[in-house]
Amino acid sequence: MRNWFHFSDAELNAIGLSLRVALWCSVLILPLAIFLAWYLARKSFRGKPLIEGLINLPLVLPPVATGFVLLLLFGTKGIIGSWLFDWFGIRIAFTFYAAVLASMIVAFPLAVRAIRLSIEMVDPGLEAAAKTLGANSFQSFMRITLPLALPGIISGFVLTFARSLGEFGATIIFAGNISGETQTIPLALFSQIQIPGQETAAFRLLMVAVIFSFSAMVISEYLVKKVHERR
Amino acid sequence: MHALSAKLKRTKGNFTLNVEVNFRKGITGIYGPSGAGKTTLLHLISGLEYPDEGNISIAEEVIVDSQNKIWTPSRKRKIGYVFQEGRLFPHMTVRKNLLFGTIFQSKDKPLIAFDEVLHLLELEPLVDKRPSQLSGGEKQRVAIGRALLSAPKLLLMDEPFSSLDMALRRQIIPYLIKINQQLNIPMLVVSHDLPDLLSLTRELFLLKNGSVLGHGKYMELIEKENMLDVMRGSGLMNVIPFVVETHDKENGLSILVNKDASQEIRVERELIKDCCLVGEQMNVSLRPEDIALTLKEISDISIRNQLPGTIVKLIRKENRIYCIVDVGFKLIVSITQASQHKMDLCEGKHIWCLFKSMALLVNV
Repeated sequence: MRNWFHFSDAELNAIGLSLRVALWCSVLILPLAIFLAWYLARKSFRGKPLIEGLINLPLVLPPVATGFVLLLLFGTKGIIGSWLFDWFGIRIAFTFYAAVLASMIVAFPLAVRAIRLSIEMVDPGLEAAAKTLGANSFQSFMRITLPLALPGIISGFVLTFARSLGEFGATIIFAGNISGETQTIPLALFSQIQIPGQETAAFRLLMVAVIFSFSAMVISEYLVKKVHERR
Repeated sequence: MHALSAKLKRTKGNFTLNVEVNFRKGITGIYGPSGAGKTTLLHLISGLEYPDEGNISIAEEVIVDSQNKIWTPSRKRKIGYVFQEGRLFPHMTVRKNLLFGTIFQSKDKPLIAFDEVLHLLELEPLVDKRPSQLSGGEKQRVAIGRALLSAPKLLLMDEPFSSLDMALRRQIIPYLIKINQQLNIPMLVVSHDLPDLLSLTRELFLLKNGSVLGHGKYMELIEKENMLDVMRGSGLMNVIPFVVETHDKENGLSILVNKDASQEIRVERELIKDCCLVGEQMNVSLRPEDIALTLKEISDISIRNQLPGTIVKLIRKENRIYCIVDVGFKLIVSITQASQHKMDLCEGKHIWCLFKSMALLVNV
């Protein structure tokens, strides 16, 4: 019984790392996702379905495949990775950065989707009104669109965070399963399950994963409801 | 000097707006059936839509000229736009909504002070409320106030009455007239409801299928250019300015006289609010169907208003005859063809116009 709450250093490491990866991932994604969501919500241009398809691809592609693509691109022998390594000595694959990048790619479509929906619910007529009152596009976005879409944006942030906490497939291929560097909760859980007799440890991690994910979903749902109420 | 001159062409699908306009200072009513291009015209003037070609100048200052590649964005045009639905920002209080336009202004002297707007539109009790807590008429007033505080050189209003019921319409009209008179801002008011527009202005601009049908004073349009067909759609109306002369408290009537005091009419005292003192000017509306014509004055009849005049013009539309009668001012009267035959009415004939006091509507 007592073992259920007695986390080992490796487990605490995994939890801390997971939170760090998820936080970096969400923070880095947010500005990009807001811009892209606004662009897709408000502009029509040729090849829009193509861009939408590309962004949403990681949503349906097996995460392992996504990880493999990332490895091909950013591995030390990959197209971008070899260039980064030769010129700057930067290694991405199998590092903390790889874990963040893998999470970002996988969570990006979720963030864009949530934010785009909330921006689409803001009446473009209000933006037009702001312009007749003297605001330029950026000012009208910051003062009208952004505040009105804010619950959706926060919801997108929370979803990104949650998705990143759960990321496994792309991470294990692209970042590896290195304890203390890339071993996040799902990877640690996977490792524990592999070893016979480690069910209690696995259960501890399972609880943490459930609590994190469940809270994130509740917060996200609550915020989505708020967007609707504000209309 | 024109308040606004524009020559604009814009094609959307199979609709083309092609107009040349010169609006004077004062209030101009833009009237036309739905789909005539009224809102498109306002969008083009305010810069919310691009013309395919054309030019716009406000008070002789060119803001758009497609040939010389001049384009001023909406935010720099200084045109106030009051939208049909108000378009208040739902996440801001009334105060923040009102002050929104002032954020982007250069610090030069504003056209009108915040407190003055509150006073003019009677918004004091509303400033801390949210738009969702306001009634339709209150929203409309806030939207007007917000546009005024952005210091516009021109005010555009798209169907300002459509979201309001009759009682509220009559409330908002005096505000608009006050704004025009006190602040001297030219106004373009779009509506598909002629009686509403006429209670605001007699200067009309008629639009249909994207083209200008006529531009001028209401009566002149009917009389000279035969615009009757376009205007007949939403109901014709006589709107005449009168001045209160006396209140006949005993009989519950008020006596009003026209501009040169050549005619007087009697209206029910109740119709005129207490605020109207002797000497105050007001618009009186009268439907053409509510006027009867006789060949001589009738003394033993309950109808109190009997004005002598001359038929200036007869216009036949199907079985109905529209008579324009000069009784010191012009009145439009609609009668049946049968009546015309029976009374042998023709242009130049001397007749009397009869209408009940109760048929009159008064706009302060």
